[in-house]
Amino acid sequence: MNLEELERQVQLQEDIQEIEHLQRTYGYYFDNNMWPEIIDLFSDNAESVEIVDHGVFYGKKGVRRIYWDMFGGGGGPRHYPNWMQFIVMQIGGVVNVSPDGKTALGRWQTWLMESMPFGAYNRQEWRHGYYENKYVKEDGKWKFSLLHWNNTFCTPFEVGWLKYPQMGWMPLPDADLPPTAFHPYPSGYHVPYHYKHPIASE
Amino acid sequence: MNLEELEKQVTLLEDVHEIENLQKLYGYYFDYTMYTEVIDLFSENTDSVEVSGHGVFRGKKGAKRMYNAMLGRKHPGLTFFEIMQSQGVVEVAPDGKTATGRWYTPSFESRPVGGTQRQTWQFGVYDNEYIKENGKWYFKKLHWNLTFWPSFESGFVKVPRLSDDISFLSADAPATAYHPYPSGYHVPYPFKHPVTGE
Repeated sequence: MNLEELERQVQLQEDIQEIEHLQRTYGYYFDNNMWPEIIDLFSDNAESVEIVDHGVFYGKKGVRRIYWDMFGGGGGPRHYPNWMQFIVMQIGGVVNVSPDGKTALGRWQTWLMESMPFGAYNRQEWRHGYYENKYVKEDGKWKFSLLHWNNTFCTPFEVGWLKYPQMGWMPLPDADLPPTAFHPYPSGYHVPYHYKHPIASE
Repeated sequence: MNLEELEKQVTLLEDVHEIENLQKLYGYYFDYTMYTEVIDLFSENTDSVEVSGHGVFRGKKGAKRMYNAMLGRKHPGLTFFEIMQSQGVVEVAPDGKTATGRWYTPSFESRPVGGTQRQTWQFGVYDNEYIKENGKWYFKKLHWNLTFWPSFESGFVKVPRLSDDISFLSADAPATAYHPYPSGYHVPYPFKHPVTGE
């Protein structure tokens, strides 16, 4: 192996690590409602954001609309009381960088413990989901170009996914499109894999 | 450092990464009961597969029998798994041909137990081995140790497991280590202490 080939291989390992950190950093910001920091993790040429049943938001403008206008309530003082909490664990990342080293795809699992109001009640929930995301390298840095978070279940802490798989429905009025794939448990839906089987190559 | 040494170090990092992906892909296929894809992740020279109390299955043939037995166990109604492959510690042997890995698996499940549809928590520990053949990493040995399997409603202290995992009829040998909570059993570590070397 010559130096150039070796350099390419090291670059790939660095890319994967940086993307893994990007995804986990997203989670650590999300947990604390740090929407400006989240928006800055997205490319200016971002394709779209789609989160559970909230619908599809196109472009960097859409990124701002969903995180800042919708989740962040358009700025001002933090409008969440302290008892409200999201802990979104970013688990099981499988990241594949394209041969040209400019884009990448990643699948992740998420396990959440959250507390938020549902209707008139303050609730505590378990939640699970899958990401299938796209990343892009611009000016030597990895950024999100597409984020799609699929919800498996969202259930009261006390009740469980079998008896109560999905608490409430929340399409956001500002979305560009309704959700393209919102099929929570027990639909049996398989979130499509971005990768081929590593051995069988299918 | 010369080029050859550097190459060896890069290969080691690539190997660790590929093995981590292998384990996570196993999880993603297993969750959707895609057992054909799961079996294809095993080497032709597979040592054994042992899952909980289901017994030891030897060789690639054994791996096929084991996962087919799981398929056969599929009851009418809802079966649902989300098994999170977490916290992998992967160590590649100095010759770069084999590796070991320890992982945790928190999981959500629902399936029929004794005629009733139940929702359960499950937790366990993998103690696995991997082998590199023709430039690709495969499972050589898979051993998943059950820690607990309680109903969602009761929790692991009150009901450590809803039932005991019995040996599959097609197993080659009974389980070598089935010691769920609260046995106090420590799943053996494949690695040495990184500081003391013991």
